[in-house]
This record gives sequence, structure tokens and C-alpha cells, in this order.
Amino acid sequence: MKKGLITIFCLLTTIISFAQTIISGKVTDRKGIPIIGANVFLEGTYDGSSTDDKGKFSFTTSETGIQKLVFSFLSYETYAMEADVTSFKSLEIKLREEVNTLTGVTLTAGTFEAGDNAKVSALTPLDVVTTASALGDFVGALQTLPGTSTVAEDGRLFVRGGDAGETQIFIDGIRVFQPFTPTTNNVPTRGRYSPFLFDGITFSTGGYSAEYGQALSSVLLLNTINEPDQEKTDISLMTVGGGVGNTQKWEKGSLSVNTAYINLAPYTEVFPDRNEYRKPFEAISGEAVYRHKFENGLLKLYTAYDHINVDVLQEDINFDDLIRFDLENNNVYFNGSYKGALKNNWLLNVGTSYTYGKTNTGIIGNDIRDTEQSLHAKIKLKKGFSSRFKWSAGAEYFITDFKEDFRGADNIEFNSQFNNNISAAFTEADIFFSKNLATKVGLRAEYSELLRDTYISPRLSLAYKTDKFGQVSLAYGDFYQNPNNNLLKFNTDFRAEKASHYILNYQYNNNGKTFRAEAFYKDYDDLVKFDTDFASFDSNYSNDGFGYAGGLDIFWRDNTSFKNLDYWVSYSYLDTERDFRNFPERARPNFASTHNFSLVGKYWIDKWKSQLGFSYTFASGRAFTDPNTPFFQGEKTKPFNNLSVNWAYLISPQKILYFSVSNVLGFNNVNGFQFRNTPNDDGFFDRRALRPAADQFFFVGFFWTISDDKKSNQLNNL
Amino acid sequence: MIRIIFYLLITLFSLTTSALIAQGDRYEQGMTKAFELWDAQKPMEASNMFERISSAEKENWIPYYYVVQINTIYSFNEKDEEKLTLQLAKAKEFLDKAQQISPDNPELIVLEALINTAWVAYDGQKYGMTLAPKNTELYIKALKIAPENPRVLLSKAEWDMGSARFFGQDTAPFCKDVKKALELFATFKGETLFYPEWGKERAEQILKDCK
Repeated sequence: MKKGLITIFCLLTTIISFAQTIISGKVTDRKGIPIIGANVFLEGTYDGSSTDDKGKFSFTTSETGIQKLVFSFLSYETYAMEADVTSFKSLEIKLREEVNTLTGVTLTAGTFEAGDNAKVSALTPLDVVTTASALGDFVGALQTLPGTSTVAEDGRLFVRGGDAGETQIFIDGIRVFQPFTPTTNNVPTRGRYSPFLFDGITFSTGGYSAEYGQALSSVLLLNTINEPDQEKTDISLMTVGGGVGNTQKWEKGSLSVNTAYINLAPYTEVFPDRNEYRKPFEAISGEAVYRHKFENGLLKLYTAYDHINVDVLQEDINFDDLIRFDLENNNVYFNGSYKGALKNNWLLNVGTSYTYGKTNTGIIGNDIRDTEQSLHAKIKLKKGFSSRFKWSAGAEYFITDFKEDFRGADNIEFNSQFNNNISAAFTEADIFFSKNLATKVGLRAEYSELLRDTYISPRLSLAYKTDKFGQVSLAYGDFYQNPNNNLLKFNTDFRAEKASHYILNYQYNNNGKTFRAEAFYKDYDDLVKFDTDFASFDSNYSNDGFGYAGGLDIFWRDNTSFKNLDYWVSYSYLDTERDFRNFPERARPNFASTHNFSLVGKYWIDKWKSQLGFSYTFASGRAFTDPNTPFFQGEKTKPFNNLSVNWAYLISPQKILYFSVSNVLGFNNVNGFQFRNTPNDDGFFDRRALRPAADQFFFVGFFWTISDDKKSNQLNNL
Repeated sequence: MIRIIFYLLITLFSLTTSALIAQGDRYEQGMTKAFELWDAQKPMEASNMFERISSAEKENWIPYYYVVQINTIYSFNEKDEEKLTLQLAKAKEFLDKAQQISPDNPELIVLEALINTAWVAYDGQKYGMTLAPKNTELYIKALKIAPENPRVLLSKAEWDMGSARFFGQDTAPFCKDVKKALELFATFKGETLFYPEWGKERAEQILKDCK
């Protein structure tokens, strides 16, 4: 009996300690070139080895039966095979290169991405704050990128021959209905939202994803910060106002609150401009972001409120006296989004936004009261089947309820109201054929309840990597957009306006140097036309307008060639004509200049702990109609020039003093001309140059951050 | 019959214990082998070995720790952006796994900050502004959890010195932190076998520059 037991014991031990199997083979890439240093091992055991300089490996194992043999190496897809250990002999393994955003091809035609992890960062959020001409407005910084036209008196984005209304802005994928504060005539507007809230900005100048619609020209995608770095209090004191912000963090969430008060009264007192203010521009704004982390997701709730008012007397050539323009706007915006991972590589994005905007405008005794309520709800699902195939689909619904009450100086009353509701669905696939060739194919369908019509827009982009640093991309897409509120309030018997984009892009990116050249052609159709001087309730409307825009955008950025110097150069050539609104014929619109050039530079001086910045903008003349000539849009203003400089001085890591001056060289810019409605005694129409309210703008600000680490530094310094 | 069962039980028991001991030995041998590879200037082979051990020891954060450390340390002075990104991504991947096993571990927080420092060292202009406050926060957190851990003190002091140097401020105030770290190194006892123990020489070196 004992003997038997001993035999069993011996047998078992033998199996455990002596059954050694040799596992061997060779690891190469697809072309047969050996991969050195790959990790080859039986999963869940200690047994394995690294490949030698011929790609070979060999090791012994005492494991038996079915095992999983894993091959892994940086930048290659991990490969695993499951079989009986005895079969793992003289293996020939070819690993496939991993498609990753850093080394792989990216679908970039038409887009500028900014952010810490974007492969090609044209602009970072910090650039927005430190670009001399931008004055902390993210839209101002984007205007130094190619594809945009300088329309100094407006301040919004005019992209590739499109007007400002053709660009839509999204925060965390959810639409912003009123991204800009309304302003008086000839005073540029600013974006409502603080650039410090965002850590990712994607600016697409055409050919963008099927996820976005209702924008003929461009989309601007802003992503809010997922998790603030630290608890802090921000204080800013400026010549035009001040602000306070605070961020609190706890284990699962965080809350950031910002408030600001802007009043231009002291400034206009010291530096009077061409307007005469009854009440200078005043703004009160507040915003709060709450973020909560769940085990597999992130919830963000964003709320903003702002109130502005201004009351101003401005020149007008048709009136002997100054005319009065007063404006009051209240805006509430809410944006909530949830992003989470589900099982099996599914990602879920849901979100909603709500806007309530009320604007009261008084122009020469006419009183206009607008109320807009809008809602956007969206759901999107995405699945990564592999690093080579990703698929997404989603649905969204937009509600806009617009009301306007007009009371004329002569007591004529006019009320208008409409609901512009749109439902949409989209689907898209990203396919990587190899590390060098990829395509994005998408389809979007929209139904407009107001126009009672359905629109299907295909989107396609293709990218091919030519070498380690360069790639060529192509993009095509159809885009539809309902006519804007200022037309819909008078007439709703429209079709959606349409644009088709064709884009060819080359991009070179090497270690801090970025070059892009993008040729585009845009075909406009079904543009709204009317037969009166201004769109009004008694105009005759149609969708007979059309047009085109074609051109070339060049961008170069370099932050490595010269120590401490970072600069970028943009140039855009734009050829565009359209027959729209009340144009009698096809012509170049006044917001589209042929040549636009920007040069932005930032130089860090270590010794002074200062960053000096400048930005120079040039735009060729803009078209206008001189009623004294027979030609429509036949004249051109002189070119626009602006050189802005700034100086940021770091008093300490957390105290910054900031100066900036726009148009230092004092160019006399003319945005256009206003002609008298009636000719004078000689039969000549007098004109008045539309100049900026002020030629120059000075700004001084002090920004102070108070946070934990500062305290610790202070204590250590004592 | 009862005897047979008894013998069988004894045998089984001794088999399992010997297997357990073997497994413990295996871990010790494996880790020792990996450190030998590292000492023999074969860091990536060592990293591979630690990775293999981690695939077998799914509940132990130590082997993960060393995969992170090797991939991070060898990313300093790496000029090839692709290689740097891949190595640091790998370090982050293993850090995430280790932190799942051992959340709020000060040693792992120090490594997390070290990964950020590698990014800042590669391109201060691009990553400094965003990662610097993150690191400050991480060190504060680590110090709260383990005020007596010499590696936390040392890494924090070194980071603070770097920041001070960047802003042209005096680095001397942080010398006393390094000194305190050095004192703690003398008494610090790791909780387990192969617990991280680097830093003493580094502290001595920095302290030399202090005087």
C-alpha cells in the first residue's frame, strides 16, 4: 500500500517539476524584419523571454495542456495564440503595426485641433489667452488661422466665403444657440464663454463629421475640462472690470464658479471713441461647472448667465443728429452631458442644452423685443470593434421657439413667432485599412418640421500618409442649414440652404513644425433671396440664390527652430461670388476679402520672466457698392492692417501682469461706407466711412491665482 | 483504509504546500532575475520580465510598479517623440492597473508625477503649463497620505526646486526637505518584499549641491 502511495507521489512530483517543454520561434513585422526585444510569454505564468537581435526567442516551461502564448511590443498590436504548449515550436509570428493617433494616419482634412493630446495642435487653449490680438476671446485667436476672413466690425467667424451665421458652436458636442453677445452697430462682438473652461478646441473649416449639422461652412467644437488640476481661486483686475473664480475639488467631483463684471465707462471716459455713450457697455456674467465622476463615466453640468446693456448715440449719414441705439440682453445657457463606457467597448454620450435669450433693442424710437428659447437633446453610441474599425450612430432633436414684438416709432406693431424644430440621425464609420490609409464615411438625415422637408447629407473623408511626417487628405460633404431667425420671422416657406464642400489637404508635421496647405471648393445652392432693401414681412422670398467659394489656405507654425520663440503664419486666398439676399446679380459679398494674412509670434524672455507677443493681420479690401457708379459691389475699401502687441509679466508663478495694445501703428482702417439714401443737389450720393469705434484699444490686467501649492511655496520661502 | 485516506491527505497537503512554496519562490526568483537583468543594463528585458510576473501576480502591485518605473526613467532624455509617447503610454497603462490594485498608494502617486515630469522635460512649453499644477496636486496628495515616506518628500522637494529654478527663485528652502528625506531613508522599512527603495543616493547627491 505504502509503495503505491509513494509511486503516486513520485509521479505527481515528476509531472510538476520535470515536464519541461521548449517554446521557440521568431517574431518579425509584416515585412519580415526581426522585432528585437518583444515580450513573449505564457499568460498567467512566469515563463517567457524577450526576442534577441534576430527576433528569435526560446524558453522552457513546465506548464502543460492548452496555454495562451502572448507576443507584445510597443507600437505593435499584441498578438495571442491559444494551443497546446507542445505545439509552440519554431513559430513564425508576424506582428501588425498598431494604428495609433501619434504615428498613424489621422482624418484631418478641414480641421484644426487644439489640445494637449491632439496630434497636430494648431492652437492650444493657452494660445487663445496669449495671442496679442485676441484679448482673451477664443474666437479672436481663431481669426488668426487660415480660412477665416477679417471682418473687424463684427468679431464673429467668417469661414471660406461663408457669413458668420454659417458657423455653429458646440460645447461637449451639444449646440450653443447664442454663442455671441449682441452688440451695437460697428462694434465687434466676443464669445460668451471663458477660454479657461476648455481644454480642447477643434475648429473645422469644412468637410466635418456627420455628427454635426445645420452649419453650411464650419463648426467649432469646444470641450470643457474633465477634471480641474487643483483647488484654486482666481482673481482678475482689469482696466475694463474684474472677475473672481473659484474651484473646489473632492473625491468624485468638482465645482468651478466664475463671475465677471465689465464696465467700459471709466475707459471711454479716458479714451473717448467715435460713439457718444449715454450708458457705456456693461456686462455681468456668471458661470458654473459641476463635474461628477462615476465608475465608468463622467457627468458635466454647465450653466451660464449673462446680462449686458449699452445705450449709445451713433453717427448716421441719413440723419443730421446722432441716432440712438440701445440694447439689453439677458441670456441663460445650460448644458449637461454624460459620457460613459458600457460593456464590450461601447461608449455612450448623451447630452442636452437649453438657452433662454431675451434681447430688447431700441433703434431710433423703434422698439424690438426678441425672445428665443432653444433646446438640443442628443444621444450617440460608439463602438470600437478594433483599433482599425470604429462605428458610431446617434440621434438628436432641436427645438427653437422664437418670438419678436416690434413696435415702431409711429406705433405700428408687428409680432412674429415660429418654431424651428429639427430632428436628425447620423451614422459614421472610421476604417483604417493600414497605418497609412484611413477613411471616414458618414451619413446624416435631417427633418425640419418648419420647412416640412427631409435632407440627406453624405460625408466622406480619406487620408493617406505619404511618409513619417506628411499626409494627404481628401474630404467631401453636403451640408444643409435652415435660413436664420431674421428671415424665418418673416417667412417660413423656404427650403434649407445647401453647400457642398470639396477639400484637398496636405499636412506636414515634424517635431514642433507644422505645415498645412488646403485647397477647397464650395458650391452654394438654394440660398435665400428677397426683393427689398432689407428682409421684411412684405418682401417676396425665394430659394433661387446660389454661389461658390474656392481658394487656398496655408498655415505654418514653428516653435522649435528658434529658442523661446513660437510663431505661426497664415495665409488664405479666397475667390467667391454669390447671388443671395437682395443681390441683383452674382457678386462678391462684402464680408469676403480675397487675401487674408496673419503673423503671430510669442517670445519668452527668461531673464524678464516675460512673454512678449505680437500679431499682425492684413486683409485686402472689401467689396461695396457705390451708388454713384453703375456697378454692383464694384468698389473696394483699402486694405485692413492691424498690429497688436502684448506683454505678460510673471511677477511670481501665480501673479501675472498683462498689457496689450491693439493697432499700435495707428492704421486708419475703414470697414466700409454708408451712402446717403438720396442724392444731393448735384445728383451725387454722399458717403460716410465706417470706421471702428476706436482705432486703438489699451488693456491692462492683473491676474492672481491662489492655490494650495502657492501657500506651501510661500511658507518654504519664509 | 483510514490510514490510506490519511496518507493521501498528507500527500495532497504536502503537494499543495510545496506548490505554494514553489510559487513564493517563483515570485522571489522571478523578481530577483528581473533585477539582475536591470543591473546588467538590460532594462527593457527587465521590464518584459516584470510584465510577465505581473501577468501571473494579478493582485500584487509591485511588479507593475517596476514596469512603470523602467518605462518612465528611460523616457527622460528620449528625443524620439514616437518612442517617448509609446513608452509613457505603456507606463501609464501599467500605473492605472497598479492603482486599481492598490488605490491611494503614495509610491504609485510619486510615479504618476514622474510620468508627468518626463513629459515636461521633453517639451516644457507644450506640457509645462498643464502638467505642472497636476504634479503639485499629486505631491500634496501623496504627502497627506504618507508624510514620513522619504521618496514622497524627496520627489516633492526635487519638483519644487525645479519650479523655483524655472521662476528664478531660491532653491535653498527645499534643501531641508531633502535632508529630512535622507533621515527618513535610514529608518524607512518597506511593507513587503521588493518594496521600492530607491532615492537615498539621489538625496545625497542633491544635498551635496545644496551646500
